[in-house]
Amino acid sequence: MAVHDVGHATSVDAPPERKRRPSRASERAVEARGRAGLGMTAPFLLLFAGFFVAPIIYSIVLSLRSPATGAYAGLLNYRTVLSDGAFWSGVQRMAYFGVVQVSIMIGLAIVLALFLDSPYCRGRKFFALVYFLPYAVPGVIAAIMWGFLLEPDLDSALRLPHLLGITGSTLNPLDFRLALYAIMLIVTWEFTGYNMTILLTSLTNVPRQVLEAAKIDGCSELSIAARIKLPLIRRTVVFIVILSIIGTLQLFNEPMILNDIANIGSSYTPNQMIYNTAFSFGNEQLAAAQSVVLAVITVVATVAFYTIVRRRIDPFATSQGGA
Amino acid sequence: MSAIPAGRRSRPRTPGSGQLGRKVKTTVGTAALVVAAAYVIAPIYWLVVASSKSTSQLFATSTFLPPVHLSWGANFRSLFSFGSGEFKYWLANSFVYAIVTASLATAVSTLCGYGLAKYRFRFRKTIFGLVVGSLMVPATALVVPLFLLEHDVGLINSYQGVILPMLVYPFGVYFMSIFAADAVPDSLVDASRIDGASELRIFWQIARPILMPGMVTLLLISFIGTWNNYFLPLVLLGDTTKFPLTVGLSTWASDLNQAGVSQPLYPEVLLGSLISVLPMLVLFPFLQKYVARGLTFGAIAGE
Repeated sequence: MAVHDVGHATSVDAPPERKRRPSRASERAVEARGRAGLGMTAPFLLLFAGFFVAPIIYSIVLSLRSPATGAYAGLLNYRTVLSDGAFWSGVQRMAYFGVVQVSIMIGLAIVLALFLDSPYCRGRKFFALVYFLPYAVPGVIAAIMWGFLLEPDLDSALRLPHLLGITGSTLNPLDFRLALYAIMLIVTWEFTGYNMTILLTSLTNVPRQVLEAAKIDGCSELSIAARIKLPLIRRTVVFIVILSIIGTLQLFNEPMILNDIANIGSSYTPNQMIYNTAFSFGNEQLAAAQSVVLAVITVVATVAFYTIVRRRIDPFATSQGGA
Repeated sequence: MSAIPAGRRSRPRTPGSGQLGRKVKTTVGTAALVVAAAYVIAPIYWLVVASSKSTSQLFATSTFLPPVHLSWGANFRSLFSFGSGEFKYWLANSFVYAIVTASLATAVSTLCGYGLAKYRFRFRKTIFGLVVGSLMVPATALVVPLFLLEHDVGLINSYQGVILPMLVYPFGVYFMSIFAADAVPDSLVDASRIDGASELRIFWQIARPILMPGMVTLLLISFIGTWNNYFLPLVLLGDTTKFPLTVGLSTWASDLNQAGVSQPLYPEVLLGSLISVLPMLVLFPFLQKYVARGLTFGAIAGE
């Protein structure tokens, strides 16, 4: 829900005005029309029930069953998850990843967007297109490209520090310790431009009169960017941070591929671990419980972040009812 | 440059704000943008170069320089012939998954979004709430649960099994409902009713042409999302001839790391990767506008 409170404030509850006519015949017609409207939503609702709601309910039911016997086992699987060190170190790794990588990525996206929106920039359209390109590259292919580029056997540049005597051995960015930073590099590559694109569109909606007025008052471009543009797009910033937090906790493609290329481990991220619980170990009940726990963690992290920043982005937040 | 307001020229605040300072700032700023662009382009450029090398060239030649003898021809032949030609299935499958999913998901979402925007009925608000709420649920969280369910109803390892879950596209419904509320005037719908048109006919003949630009946006985002999807088909498919490119190439990539595999598939993985990103990268300059409009939609509606 939080995403939506942020992203979108007005148009949902603005139904088209409909005049009430007293005649009974037209009332029947309105009712028939309503049925037509409900009918139009039916295909979506059927798919939604079958492939969205049903799997969620099914996995909750399954998570309450014993992996050994399949019989109802209460919270047994949840106790296993809560006491599983590997699961929590994966969560912790993602928390660290989120704090470092999301800050860098969003910071970079903000700076690039403000730059492209300033008068000190040539080739705005060209750069905006280039930064957005990785959106069209599958995460798997991005991970393969970067994985090979960061593989010392393949990348002659990585052997350079060793040949020059700077490091004792060849730098291997894909060893267990550094792999987290390799993934940060890949994810930053994939999503900075995506976030920048969202910010840039938001910036073009900043009223030009406000900016003109600031210029006439002698504001420098830097202070216009910091004091006027940035505060005006803060809701968008919150929106993309929330998307990034969710994305981080769900990280899967990149660690999977890097593990294929360089053995970084099969429970590097929670989602990777859930996959392996279900498919390498065949423990579907435990995997279901892990999925539920990860979903709860994601919601808690998102809501916590939103609660913290809510007051800042919307000073009237507390006085707002359900209107 | 002539657009600088007169007021600004008449009172320079700091020495750096003159024409010279402006030029310096532009140069420094553009240089920073070029560095960032290099970060984006470098791996793609490398992929193009590396896919032209044979395995031995890959390990012997400089990383970012093309080899003296290009091996594209040989790599291309072995890419399509390796493993009884499984790559061509993957390529075809990726197109099938992406085209079928994008068209059906767009159709289902457009109809639903239009229905929510233009009609009053019971549960309308509930349905809208469900759509908005499910936007928060990341698709990856549903993958393992979907497997467990599809496994038990026998949908696993089939095209339908992969496509059907991707037709649930809450963002599409949300996008379309707001697009339709803005774009389709009620007066037009009412006028068609007076002419005796049925509701479905009004949708098809009056609303659909108006909604077309929004549908193009949804079609593209869904196409790219499906083409790039990895987790869902990885989990739901076992038969290699049903794999899309992402899953197929990842199986080749994982063989690189396995001891005892007869032949390391570096050139095949690299050229295969290039082929799977090339169509979208070439088309992207033309599609960027539509895609960006969709992505920024949720974020800026409230600004």
